[in-house]
Amino acid sequence: MEMEFNVNGIKHILEVDPMERLLDVLRNKLKLTGAKEGCGEGECGACTIILDGVAINSCIVLAAQAAGREILTIESLEKDGELDRLQKAFINNGAVQCGYCTPGMLMSCKALLMKNPAPTEEEIKTAIEGNLCRCTGYTKIIKAVKEAVKDI
Amino acid sequence: MTELKYVGKYIPIHDAYEKVKGKLQYVADMEMDGMLHAKLLLSPIAHGVIKSIDVTKAEALPGVVKVYTYKNTPQNLYNSQKWHVGLEVVKDERLFTDKVRFVGDRVAAVVAKDKSIAEKAIELIEVQYQELPIVLDPEEALMEETIKIHDHGNVIMEKEISVGNVNEAMENAPIVVEDFVDTQKVHHAAMEPHICMTAIDSTNGLLTIWTPCQVVFQVRLIVAEALGLSLNRIRAIKTTVGGSFGGKGQPILEPVCAYFTYDLGVPVKLQLDRAETISSTRTRNATIGRVKTAVDKEGNILARDIDVLVDAGAYFTNGEAVTIAMGKKAFRLYDIKNQTYKGTAVYTNTPIAGACRGYGSPQIHALTEINIDNTAKKLGLDPVEFRLKNLVKPYAKDPTGGPELGNARVIDCLLKGMEVFDWKSKYNRPKATGRFVKGVGMACATHGSGYYNAYPDFITMDLRVTEDGEAILKASLHDLGCGTIVTIKQIVAEVLDINPDKILVPEADTLVSPFDSAGTQASRVTFVCGAAAKKTAELVKEKFTKHSADILKCNIDDILYKDGFILNKNNPQAMVSYGDMVMLIQTSLKEDISVSYTYKSPANPAVYGVNFAEVEIDTYTGLVRVIDIVAVHDIGKAINPVFVEGQVQGAIQMGIGFALTEEIVIDNKGNVKSNNFSKYHVINAPDMPDVKVHLIEAGEEFGPFGAKSVGEVSTVPIAPAIINGINHALDINITSLPATPEKILAALNNKKNLIGG
Repeated sequence: MEMEFNVNGIKHILEVDPMERLLDVLRNKLKLTGAKEGCGEGECGACTIILDGVAINSCIVLAAQAAGREILTIESLEKDGELDRLQKAFINNGAVQCGYCTPGMLMSCKALLMKNPAPTEEEIKTAIEGNLCRCTGYTKIIKAVKEAVKDI
Repeated sequence: MTELKYVGKYIPIHDAYEKVKGKLQYVADMEMDGMLHAKLLLSPIAHGVIKSIDVTKAEALPGVVKVYTYKNTPQNLYNSQKWHVGLEVVKDERLFTDKVRFVGDRVAAVVAKDKSIAEKAIELIEVQYQELPIVLDPEEALMEETIKIHDHGNVIMEKEISVGNVNEAMENAPIVVEDFVDTQKVHHAAMEPHICMTAIDSTNGLLTIWTPCQVVFQVRLIVAEALGLSLNRIRAIKTTVGGSFGGKGQPILEPVCAYFTYDLGVPVKLQLDRAETISSTRTRNATIGRVKTAVDKEGNILARDIDVLVDAGAYFTNGEAVTIAMGKKAFRLYDIKNQTYKGTAVYTNTPIAGACRGYGSPQIHALTEINIDNTAKKLGLDPVEFRLKNLVKPYAKDPTGGPELGNARVIDCLLKGMEVFDWKSKYNRPKATGRFVKGVGMACATHGSGYYNAYPDFITMDLRVTEDGEAILKASLHDLGCGTIVTIKQIVAEVLDINPDKILVPEADTLVSPFDSAGTQASRVTFVCGAAAKKTAELVKEKFTKHSADILKCNIDDILYKDGFILNKNNPQAMVSYGDMVMLIQTSLKEDISVSYTYKSPANPAVYGVNFAEVEIDTYTGLVRVIDIVAVHDIGKAINPVFVEGQVQGAIQMGIGFALTEEIVIDNKGNVKSNNFSKYHVINAPDMPDVKVHLIEAGEEFGPFGAKSVGEVSTVPIAPAIINGINHALDINITSLPATPEKILAALNNKKNLIGG
């Protein structure tokens, strides 16, 4: 089926199988490989993207469900060669180790800040509760988000 | 001491920018023209012989290129643990087997034009098994002689390490405390599932493997042995790793995928999903331990007797090595004159065990550190005071003749942690009587810094200063997300006084990296490879100085390095940049400012970690919340303190799971029940406490700038600290990991019945 996707502000008309997962369309058809697959069941958060302002696991959403809606992936965070403040804060605080959870983690945090520009520590933790990280123990990720919102 | 310019500072991990942008390519993101996709058929039964296997329907499916089984693949035996050619180990693995030994054993594979076709074709392979009785319990494996998982029997090895006279000391001791502690199989839970990609490289015709691995030379060796090829025909390239923790240490998919490419001549990618990664790759070894500790009434340890049964799973891999490694640790934490460790490893029809962060240390310390607390309790001593009486002091000897402990600062760690955590007041405060009860626990641990005295531990590095004043270091280095590349750059930068940004350190590739004996294993990278980088940089500097003196026509002692320039201190106006100096040396002296150096590690000092944990238990549900952690580490010197903290905090997350929630649960047929993240509980952000990290930086003689290891030891003390905290809070004796709500409620009920009865 032909469907229209609005990804990172760009419209794409794509031939998509009704059973195709959004994650596969992003990764295989649009070559946006920032979103990762870690479990394929919506349990690890590595594939998190933002759909109409909400962080979702793109491995358990059919592409058809996202057609015509606003999709944001990790590739949208950098604007005109300038990193998003969340990305900068992740780098400056040692919140990146192996990096496999990082794109999903960043998108969950971005969705949080889009709704709530000054979250508490508890709110940050809740926002990333579906994003597993095996490297950092989350401490530096939380610190990075706190730093990113400090000046707001 | 001169002030350090780059060492001891935070510099982000080398690929941080690409990682936050989502641009960095992992193997899952790599594509090649004409690439095929492979899918494995894994055994659905725990033990049996393949009676027949029919692949005709699978092969007939359009898009399927070929189906592989034991019938059409090499049957060379290998052991995926073997990382250097001289390692003598039992070889019992093959690419595909005709006798399955656990649920998850490799039976067949389909190579097809795309993944979904391969998945469909797998369903069409018809296999008939003659089922055999199974052995799941290691204790049963020990006794059972009729059911043989491998022809050579179920007992892999038995080994005893002993010092002094344990029996005599035990007999005469006023107090002996015995505990039985068992630990479970856990999954490494790297966020990136296992994967690899292979192709014939068009330039050299080499069978090339792109893999998120820990030891490229091990990948090359195992592929060579499994396929019966010479080393020179194979090239292994380390790709970005989405976490490993030992789980990607042994080549599992590499020889299999490499064979497909070897046979078909085209690129192939083989990718596992999470369930396959949990059940068919590697796990931490489960253990069943018994420990008896004899003390005098003042709290001095007189003797200790340890007996550990190790579950290696269905194949040998490192079953022997890990059993010995865990025993050695028991002699390097406390000063115990009479001690025996007996380790036995057995096969079972369960997932294969392999290297896992800490390599036996988490298991042996869970056993001994829970027992140390119980011994303190019997003595009526504060567990910290009891430990202080018995912990090793700096430069103590390993009584077994093992490597020197070096500047062992565990007592400093303990005293620091006690103060920061406010141990005394928390330990002695009255217990709550309501539903929620708090308690505190602590534990100490030790680990090593490399392989010296056990296995070959050397690395060759090539370092060169370029014509534009930058530097390139070629070495077989594998960054697993821990910051190895930047750490090495910081060391070289410090010696050569070059900004780390101007030093290129490519990762391991067997075609271009000089040889390294052991890769990213055994907590050796900073201590051994870091020291190698430092020594190589010093030799480069020596050469640079000598030739610069020739160019500047002065004595070697007159040469000064300053902000990227070289000068004669008697004529400081004539400053020459590094690049210009290299050019002058090339032109006038026909010399190259490069050194290739093989560094052999001369030591393997012990490192120490002490954790303090505060826990709160809901006595209605048995759920435990970890509230606060203080982790103190004897690190020698932190080359990059933020990386060190990151290692410790991540290790604590892993250790909390080991203590409370993570377990590869196997049913009575050998099936893994917890084969996804909804059933296998990894600690998430809301359940993660604040982890306060403190470092004791007292320097280690052979470490680069005094550094020693931290990556593995950091995951060791946390589990017993938490268990001791639970036992302290509730006055129970949990000795089985993980401490699930069921076990805690059962212990509480048991206590009630005892009091009531």
